[in-house]
Amino acid sequence: MLKPVHRKISLLLIALAIFYLYLAYQLPSFSNSVINASTMPKILGFGLIALSLFLFFTPEQETKEEKEKRHIPKADLIKIAGVVLMILAYIFFLERLGFILVSFLFIYFCSYFLGYTKHSINFLVSILFPAILYSAFTMLLGISLPSGIIPF
Amino acid sequence: MGSIEGILSGVQLAFSIEGILFVFLGVLAGTLIGMMPGLGPISAIAIMIPLTYNMDPTVALVLMAGVYYGAVFGGSTSSILLNAPGISGTVATSFDGYPMAQRGEAGKALAVAAIASFFGGTVSVILLMLFAPVLSSVAIVFGPPEYFALMVLGLTAISSLSDGSTVKALISAVLGIMAVTIGIDSQTGTTRFTFNNPNLLEGIDFLVVALGLFALAEVCALIINRNQTSKDRKSLGSLKLSKNDMKDMSGPMGRQSILGFILGVLPGAGATIASFIGYITEKKLAKKPEEFGKGAVRGVAAPETANNAATSGAFVPLLSLGIPGSGTTAVLLGALLVLDIQPGPLLMSEQPQLFWGVIVSMYVGNLFLLILNLPLIPYIAKILAIPRPLLISLVIMFSMIGVYSISFNTFDLYLLVIFGVIGYLMRLFKFPPAPFILAFILGGMMEESFRQAMTMSNNDLSIFINKPIALGMLIAAFLSFTVPIWQGYRSNKKNSA
Repeated sequence: MLKPVHRKISLLLIALAIFYLYLAYQLPSFSNSVINASTMPKILGFGLIALSLFLFFTPEQETKEEKEKRHIPKADLIKIAGVVLMILAYIFFLERLGFILVSFLFIYFCSYFLGYTKHSINFLVSILFPAILYSAFTMLLGISLPSGIIPF
Repeated sequence: MGSIEGILSGVQLAFSIEGILFVFLGVLAGTLIGMMPGLGPISAIAIMIPLTYNMDPTVALVLMAGVYYGAVFGGSTSSILLNAPGISGTVATSFDGYPMAQRGEAGKALAVAAIASFFGGTVSVILLMLFAPVLSSVAIVFGPPEYFALMVLGLTAISSLSDGSTVKALISAVLGIMAVTIGIDSQTGTTRFTFNNPNLLEGIDFLVVALGLFALAEVCALIINRNQTSKDRKSLGSLKLSKNDMKDMSGPMGRQSILGFILGVLPGAGATIASFIGYITEKKLAKKPEEFGKGAVRGVAAPETANNAATSGAFVPLLSLGIPGSGTTAVLLGALLVLDIQPGPLLMSEQPQLFWGVIVSMYVGNLFLLILNLPLIPYIAKILAIPRPLLISLVIMFSMIGVYSISFNTFDLYLLVIFGVIGYLMRLFKFPPAPFILAFILGGMMEESFRQAMTMSNNDLSIFINKPIALGMLIAAFLSFTVPIWQGYRSNKKNSA
């Protein structure tokens, strides 16, 4: 019964709606306001349940081709996971090491990880792009990005 | 200030050195970004927002409008050269544009696209000048019930017109409003769904959602296709058009510039629908419909005229009602709010220079698309040769910095990653992201106008029935999603019988 993937999704969405409604019912209500802070969330929660139920009972429409499209080869999944990890590292080190250094490391290693092997071009782009962006933000726009351990 | 003076002050702004410079930069940046596979106008505008923070709002809007139609045009370039439409609005262009390119007539196809875009853009800007003020004056009588009904209509219309399942699009819209309920409720001061996290008190910034759902989610798709390079590039061929070609183009351009504009004004429709309808109607009207799909000049001219006309048309509800009708104009509205501009019926009378400046700059922008982009195309097309791995890293870094420079808070960057994952999963399971972003932008305003309407009526829902305009829009909203669902249900039943 749960075989078509949209049924699994609809159950997940119903679970999300129930959790959202549970939180909405915890919200305090004030007698002096006509529409409480919880009114809209309650409408949304029940609306999502109704729509998810509708999705659940919609017949399967996916073609074989579409199903195959959804299948991601393991090698690609590893690449996506790797890039996500690098993004998380970028965020973690951004304020600690500074924008230019972290961006340089990110662009260089991310491009290399995704299969770019022209090291000299890669090196040049990873240095120039963050440097130009950093100068544009700090000098032209007056937005200071973290300088980190680089003293300028 | 009257309309004429307003237009004159707009002309003054659009033809100032600053105005021309930023239109040019916007159109160029839009073309470059729009050309890259996967990155469409929404990503292009979202990426540009951080650059506009300290700008004069009018100049910023001129820049972003340029980015918008530049990106639509850029998308058609990659459709023609690579058969890889950057955005859904230019898919129809590839039907005949790519066969032309394969025949060695890429230059001609690009010229047709540029001229048709110019024509569609220009005609629709004239229509915009005529209709936006009229609509603004009607909109002044709009109260909270009408605004609420209009927003509901916008959301249901975009859901029913987006690709694929209407139910999934509606779910996407509901999730978008849910996301906007996070944070302090402006009216009661209650904190909602923040899990005691102080970073969530002010809610989620729309740029986080826009860049996550669009730019980062596209990056995932780019990673999977990272090894596809554009090796099948052939010589562009001549850009010149014969008299016959011009004759072929004139009919579709005339018709589609008007039809495209009308479709652009309607909430939810926008460039994609306009380009497909343009293509289909011209194929039906053609004397030799069998030529369509094999590299017909009309097949390129029709969708290109229509999508650019729809782009300007989409500005009508945005500027005159303050209500975006599509995902792209929703992001544009978010950008305006960042700049402290509240579009709506009063914009034209209170800030005539901004209102008319943007409109007049669209003429200039369309001209730039034609005279500057066309000769530059062979050079601009080189951007398609940027290796995918490098492009992916740069887009990620740019998105991160865009978000960081508004909040200076790394928490928002983690949220950006989460929305990137959500956006990718939505694409994977065919939930359209445009209703989500539109709902996210409209959600707050919707709740506010709903509250105001209920306060006005002392908690009586019949206020939505007693006001004829609001009632009409709500009925239209109801029909706009029930009819497609009912039709889908019936065709399923027929298929399974």
